[in-house]
Formats: sequence, structure tokens, C-alpha cells
Amino acid sequence: MRHIKSKTNWFNVITYIVIALFLFFFIFPIFWVISTSLKTRVQTFSIPPVWIFKPTLQSYKTIFSEILFSHYLINSTIIAILNTILVVFIGSLAAYSIARFKTGGTNLSFWILSIRMVPPIVVTVPLFIAFDKLRMIDNHLTLILLYTTFNLPLAIWMMRAFFMEIPEELEESAMIDGCSRMQALWKIVFPLARPGIAATAILCFIFAWNEFLFALIFTRIVAKTAPLALTSLMTEREIYWGRICAGATIVILPVIIFSLIVQKHIVRGLTFGAMK
Amino acid sequence: MVCRKEEKFLAYILVLPAVAILGILTLYPFGFMIYLSFHRWKASLPQIPKSFVGLSHFTRLFQDEFFWSAMSVTFRFLVFVVTIEFFLGLFLALILTRDVKGKSIIRTLFLLPMMLAPVAVGLIWRFILNDKVGILNYFFSVIHLPSQSWLGDVHTALGAIMLIDIWQWTPFMILVLLAGLQSLPEEPFEAAKIDGASAWQTFRFITLPLLKPAILIALLFRTIDAYRIFDIIFVTTYGGPVRSTEPLSLYVYRNGFRHYDMGYTAALSLIMLIIIIAISQGYLKLMARGE
Repeated sequence: MRHIKSKTNWFNVITYIVIALFLFFFIFPIFWVISTSLKTRVQTFSIPPVWIFKPTLQSYKTIFSEILFSHYLINSTIIAILNTILVVFIGSLAAYSIARFKTGGTNLSFWILSIRMVPPIVVTVPLFIAFDKLRMIDNHLTLILLYTTFNLPLAIWMMRAFFMEIPEELEESAMIDGCSRMQALWKIVFPLARPGIAATAILCFIFAWNEFLFALIFTRIVAKTAPLALTSLMTEREIYWGRICAGATIVILPVIIFSLIVQKHIVRGLTFGAMK
Repeated sequence: MVCRKEEKFLAYILVLPAVAILGILTLYPFGFMIYLSFHRWKASLPQIPKSFVGLSHFTRLFQDEFFWSAMSVTFRFLVFVVTIEFFLGLFLALILTRDVKGKSIIRTLFLLPMMLAPVAVGLIWRFILNDKVGILNYFFSVIHLPSQSWLGDVHTALGAIMLIDIWQWTPFMILVLLAGLQSLPEEPFEAAKIDGASAWQTFRFITLPLLKPAILIALLFRTIDAYRIFDIIFVTTYGGPVRSTEPLSLYVYRNGFRHYDMGYTAALSLIMLIIIIAISQGYLKLMARGE
């Protein structure tokens, strides 16, 4: 008995060591970029690295004063919020219809899912030519529309799963009491699905916020977003790692906070409702 | 029951906006891409009209050594990262199903890398892997290993990018497989215990078959995303050195938005799309067979 116990103890110790090593691997880069963003220019270059230092906001001040990072942050925020509103509104109506009435059958659902498989680079050439003709290059609306190509399928599939969990009887009894289907949807279903809608909205925001390829191709200066601005911090002559880390921190911090809020639903969102 | 017909009408009205937006944004580019792939047209010389060239873009494609090198990079990258991420993810998911203290905090921390903007991730790692100021070379020097120009050397650049992808996406495998493991029914495991099955037998003949749907979903999504890799490579190596890290997506970008050779780019895009559709179909067939 004693022998077995010591064996499981060793097993536990090894388990924790393995977990600790992988946690270090997955978390250290995030810690490192945030800590570098708070160093002075000299400290960012120092080898061996400085572990304990007096934090400074110098890098942040520089990117806001010298390269107008705030302009790109505002663009990113506007585009991500408006895209999220559009996608969640249109997507929840479609998701409800698909969940309740099986509208379009498996063909429609599958077509929406198959859009997820298309590499975005593949559609950029024809879309660039079209938006160029419409004089909509470097326009916020262009990105808001383009981001529906990945966020709308996500929203529809994710919310379809949430709506399917709401028992149909609730709406039916409301409708017997004289509500129309739309009233039942508005007063019964949407309030019940609120956690699901919120989680979907936050995920859509994150994906719009993080997007790079469309922003690279379809914007220049006016509608340029923060992820794209990060790359322009890499100058040919000299790389200011402190500034890059400050910019990267600003881009990743909101995402970290939002991810913690919706962590229960992330797996569901990323697998289009297939896994819970 | 009274208004079945009205309901059906409403059902279509509700999906209409979504279908309209997605229809325009996907069917139009798809049609125009097919048209362009049979025409010669340079966006840098828009005054020269599009001329029909038949299949010549496609024959050129098959003789294009840069296309084949991009295919090779894409598939070496794809197969390697998806395999490693799967086994590493399965290993860690199995560990986390054990009775581990602080499991929910660990799970939360594992979640973070995959949610971050790939561009930011690329830059973070470019800093870590930097040959002069990078912390990885510092760690190497501490244990007396030679320092390397990880992203600048033909022999290590693709491996370094694979490492970045593994860092960002192994957590996805962990979480999906963990969700799969936690939703397995208990009865088969109890039955196996009573029958005296060994841990390996239980894993091989009960856990794995039951986990198959979750495994296929995780592999499908990872394959789709690894196939399209762009952002991380764009900010770390931009395909270099000597195209050793240039995948299909970057080759498409270069042809379309650096050389403005729109007809050829369309042909290239079409082939790229057909390949991933074929692969996805394969996965979906496997999933359907399991049901």
C-alpha cells in the first residue's frame, strides 16, 4: 500500500512539473512583451536582460506623440464595434431562423460553414478591384463589410447553438397568449439568449480587432488599423523594441481582458458551436 | 398552427440580410476570380484591356518553381504544426483531466495565446528570437549553447515560424480536446474497469474512439487555419531568407499586390481554394462516417 502511495506521489510531482514548464512556455512571451514595454531604451537592449527595474511609460508616450498611434486605435475601435453590431444583429436573426425553422435546410448551413474554409487572401484580388472601382479603398466601411465574411458565419453558427438550447415551448406559450412570433423573439428569446449574444459579440469584436490581412490590402492611412500600425513601428534603420512592445501590449491587453470574460464560450465560438 | 405560411415567409425574411451580404461578398469574388484566371490583366497597366488567354495561366503555374516552393512550404508547415499541436494538445488535455489543483486557472492561462492578434504574436516572437537582443539566445548562452539567427537562417527560419504557430495554437487543441474528454459518458469507463482493462487499453479502445468527433473538429479547424498562414510570416521573415518561408498565401499576395499580375494571381488563388476545399471535404467525409 505504502509503495503504491509513494508511486502516485511521484506521478503527481511529475504532472505538476510538466504543467509548470508548459505554463512558462505559453505565458512567458506575454509577460516579456509587457515588461519590455515598461523599460527604458537602454534596458530593452541589455543582455543579460534586466529583470527588476523601475517601470517607465516612455515607449507609450513616444508611440502616441510621434506616430499617432491613437488615430489607428480609434480606427480599430470604430471598425470592430460597428462590425460587431452589424454581425450580431443580422447574424442573430438568421441564426434564430435556422435554429427554429431549419430555413434553407442543411445546404444553407453548410454554405455558411464553408465560407469559414476559404483563405481570405484568395478573395482579395477580385474584391480589391471591386472596391477600387467603387472608390472605397482606405474607407472604414470597406473593412466593416469585409469583416462580416469571417464574423457573420461565426455569429450565425455560434448563436444557432445557443438558440437551439432555448426550449421552443416558451415562445409557443407566449404566442398562445397573443404575442406574434416577432414579439416572442424580441421579448422571450433574445433576453434568454443574452449571455450567448454577449459572448458572440465579444468574440466577433476580438476577431475584427485582431484582423491584419484585409487591413493591409484595403487601407492606406485614413482607415489604417492598430495591428497594421504595429508593423510600421519596424523601421529599416533601427528597431525600437520598446515601442513595438508598447504597441503590441496596447493591442493585446483588451483582448486578454475580453478573453477572460468570455472564456467559458471560447471553445464553442472557435469550433462554430460544435464543441461546448 | 394558424399561420404556417406566414411563419415560413418570416423565416426567409430573417435569413435574407445575412445571405445577401455573404452572397455578395463571396459569390461575386468567386465568379470574378474564375473569369480573371482565364484573362491577362495587369492592374499596373489598367489601360491595356483584359485579353482572353485560355488555360495559359494554369500551364504557367505548373511550371512555376516559386509556386511549387510555396506549396512545399505550406504543406511542410501544415503537416508539421498540426501533428505536433495535436499530440502536445492531447497530452496536456489528458494531464488536465486528472485531479490537478488550480485547474481552472491553468485552463484560463492556456487560453490566452490563441486569442492574441497574430501580428502582435509575430512581433513578440521576432523580439524573443532576435539574434542580438533576443532572450532565447540569452537562455541558450546560459546553458552554453551557440546563439543562432533563428529567423534569418535558411535552416532554422521555417522551424522558428513553426514554433510560433505551435505556441499560439496548441492551446486550441488542449481546450477542444479537454472539452471533448469532459463530455465523454462514464459507463464505458466503468465497464472497462470492471473487466480489468489496463490504462493503455482503456485509452486506446475507449477514450480514443469516443473522442474521435472532437479530434476531427480540432484537426479540421487547425488545418484550415494553418493552410492560410500569413500574418506571422509577413511580420517575421516576409517569406525569406530565399523564399524558404514563403507559403501560398504570401505568394498570392506578392503576385497580386506587388506585381499587380491580376490574371495570374486569380489562377493561383483558384488553385489554392480548390486544394483546401478538397482537404475539408475529406475531413467532413470522415466525420460523417463516424455518425
